[in-house]
Amino acid sequence: MNIVHRIAIEEWRLMRRDRVAVAGLVLLVLLTVTAAFTAWDQRRSAEAERSHHQSQVDQDFDTQPDRHPHRMVHYGHFVFRAPGPLAAFDPGVDAFTGHTLFLEGHRQNSANFGDVRQSSLLLRFGQLTPAFVLQVLAPLLLVFIGHAVVARERESGTLRVLLAQGVRPAQLVAGKALALAGVAGIVLLPALVALAAIGASTPGQGGAAAMLALGYTVWLAIWVAGIVAASAWLRRGRDALLVLLAAWTAFVVVVPRLAPELALARTALPTRFETDIAIARDLSAIGDSHNPDDPYFSGFRKQVLAKYGVTRIEDLPVNYKGLVGMEGERLTSELFARYATEGFERQERQLAAVDGFAWLSPTVALRRLSMAVAGTDLRQYRRFVEQAERHRYTLVQHLNRLQAEQLAFRDDKSSRDSRIASSHWHGAADFHFDPDTSWRGAAPAAGALALWLLVWSAVLVPATRRLGKETR
Amino acid sequence: MNTVVHEARLLWRSPVSVVALMLLFALSSLAVVLGLREVAAQHDTLARLAVLQEQDLAAQARSRLAKRDAGTVAYYTAQATWDPPSATAFLALGLRDAAPGVLRVRALALQAQLHEGETFNPELVLAGRFDWAFVLVYLAPLFLIALLHDVVSGERRAGRLVTLMALPGGGARLWLRRAGLRAALVFAALVLPVLGGAVVSGMPVAAVATVLCATAAFVVFWAGLALAIGSGRGSAAAHATALMGAWAVLTLLLPTLANAALSRAVPVRQGVELMLAQRQAVHGAWDVPPDETMARFFRTHPEWRDTAPLPAGFHWKWYFAFQQLGDEHVADRVAAYRAGLETRQRWTERLGWVLPGVGVQAALHRQAGTDLTAQLAYQDAVAGYHARLRGFFYPYLFDDVPFGEADFAAQPRFSPPATSTGMPVVPLAGLVLIGAVAAGLGARAAGRVKARGEG
Repeated sequence: MNIVHRIAIEEWRLMRRDRVAVAGLVLLVLLTVTAAFTAWDQRRSAEAERSHHQSQVDQDFDTQPDRHPHRMVHYGHFVFRAPGPLAAFDPGVDAFTGHTLFLEGHRQNSANFGDVRQSSLLLRFGQLTPAFVLQVLAPLLLVFIGHAVVARERESGTLRVLLAQGVRPAQLVAGKALALAGVAGIVLLPALVALAAIGASTPGQGGAAAMLALGYTVWLAIWVAGIVAASAWLRRGRDALLVLLAAWTAFVVVVPRLAPELALARTALPTRFETDIAIARDLSAIGDSHNPDDPYFSGFRKQVLAKYGVTRIEDLPVNYKGLVGMEGERLTSELFARYATEGFERQERQLAAVDGFAWLSPTVALRRLSMAVAGTDLRQYRRFVEQAERHRYTLVQHLNRLQAEQLAFRDDKSSRDSRIASSHWHGAADFHFDPDTSWRGAAPAAGALALWLLVWSAVLVPATRRLGKETR
Repeated sequence: MNTVVHEARLLWRSPVSVVALMLLFALSSLAVVLGLREVAAQHDTLARLAVLQEQDLAAQARSRLAKRDAGTVAYYTAQATWDPPSATAFLALGLRDAAPGVLRVRALALQAQLHEGETFNPELVLAGRFDWAFVLVYLAPLFLIALLHDVVSGERRAGRLVTLMALPGGGARLWLRRAGLRAALVFAALVLPVLGGAVVSGMPVAAVATVLCATAAFVVFWAGLALAIGSGRGSAAAHATALMGAWAVLTLLLPTLANAALSRAVPVRQGVELMLAQRQAVHGAWDVPPDETMARFFRTHPEWRDTAPLPAGFHWKWYFAFQQLGDEHVADRVAAYRAGLETRQRWTERLGWVLPGVGVQAALHRQAGTDLTAQLAYQDAVAGYHARLRGFFYPYLFDDVPFGEADFAAQPRFSPPATSTGMPVVPLAGLVLIGAVAAGLGARAAGRVKARGEG
């Protein structure tokens, strides 16, 4: 057995005798297991609830009676954002966005009934998930257990003895790092099992689960390197503890809060109120479909008449009202898309500003990476909202086309009394969300995390050298 | 007094303590400044929106009055409601980052409008705000731990413990004086920026008193706990570990466990269900004979029973009647949803009796009017206003009164209810109680310090 292993094993033996350390480790492992089950159960019940609602509204839509198509435009449809499989590991923004989106003609609604508005402020303390335990509590435990790994040897004088016996400082540091890495491995184990279970049980999630496992391994490795470096560098274990606790506070508690605050202060978002009014203004600048003398819509009428080679709308082979509905929806939807894109781009600029703080705290990088890979970040939410909006547009235009083609102009007197057969609704509203599995958003965060590991591993070198000099 | 001055002089000579206090003061000030900025920005937004709303109303008046009929106006005109931040909100921004502070409503079915959300960046909301409540709940205990964990063990390590214990005025009185001074300085570093912010924002005296009282109780709790643990025999590092562990359990772990338990025990899926049920009820009206709808409406609104019968074609009064019936159809679900939310809030407040972080959070956000209760109160205000709006339009609709410019101008306007958030007495009492218990434990432990120990 080489010397590094022997040092690590000796360190483990000591740790085993430290009842507080063992209790802390056991508690954290139990907590991760609890968190994994809680988060898994929460995701499962959220998914069951939302897919139940989805099939209910799909069926509701299909079984609506004979109606005027425009009534169905207003009846609209609901889509529910189901959490992805890895939301059981890191639910990310799931609780902070709505999951129920009402799609109807001429309007773009917000996704509602997110937990963030349905919970007391308790939610803001965090959610019990494996990601939370690993991001916040695991490094703290490693600091508690590991701050004295090297410093203790120095304080008790055994360092001098070890070095005199021919142990090289690098071997000592490597052995201590190995010992602490073993602890980190135990901490990580339940989360890895949870990830493996998710990866194995859901097709297409293996890569993402592996990536998450890698990300969190790097995260804990950063802490192991930093803790051992501090313990080797600082004269006393107590100093190392205080410095590491200060670093933990700054990295895990302060910077991840301060960064979004500063990002928000720099880039504000318009309220829905303003956006609604802006869209209404832009729309009225284009034209008013209800006004017979409106220049835009009389131009549109001329175009339609010319296209079909007739002079009166009554002679058109299609129902002109349906065509106007389609044109109106096209105009509003263009505006919706433009304003929504602008809004999301602003939000992404805010997050890019937050990403800048990843150089101040690895936690910022880890969180972004974790959510991006788990498919629970803003980008994925945006994808859902944009797909739902496209679905809304397709559905409304389908109904408008039904009005144009299935309902003759002369019969289209009242949206209450002129109806078409209910068979037209069948299957028209079904929506399937196609998530983005490329984790493109994770790249900058992954780079930052790798660099943090590199920097702390590099700090180990002078710390080790210092150790050798001191005892000479 | 002299001894306190002496202690202060000692503290002043410890650079780490001075830096820690200055850092806490700086963080507290930063949080206050950021909070004031945020609240000012919210007020600016409200002012900007008020102008936009007036312009929009003017545009609506131009385009919707042509038919001189109230239904068209009621259908198209959105009226503004808003929830201005209180003078205390800058300390604890709470739910205001995700809940709408403004909402436009029309006289149509309320439940389809009331739950509309606001645009916000979910990743930023997930991270949380750096407001003063955060500095108090998360950071202040850490500074107290840093300053207090070695009050006793530090002396033991320096080899002065035996001498100090033997001196007149030594022993428990010394530890209490020393811990008390440090806690008082932490309190000052926390609240001095708040007092400055209170002057700027015009905080009422009662609110200032709440903040001071909650902060004092919270600081006393952590100082007491630090003394209770720090007076033991262990080393400074062991005390720091135990205290940080206690902080992590009380601030990070138990609240998240409680949240998981609470969201499981009190589900609030009625929200979505009421939306689905309400839509079915409202749109189903197009498929039943209008007279049937009117008969149902008259059962709950007999005052309109003797108005003219429906004409053959479309009439707005039928339209608004089924909109209101849609709301009434889901009244039970609305009440159940509401009850679920209130239960969650109630249990959170109860939790504050044992978890000081949750307790101080609850007290501050209640005083600031930024908690779930405040959000529900705003929804009530919107609902009350919406009822007035309906009440305003119905006589025009049911009595077929032509609707002109003067009537348009006479539409009721929303005014936010006078915020009468009194002092949150119950959460404060809970905080004071746990603060007193921890202080008692600390004092008792300080009285039992043994000169021998691990050093």
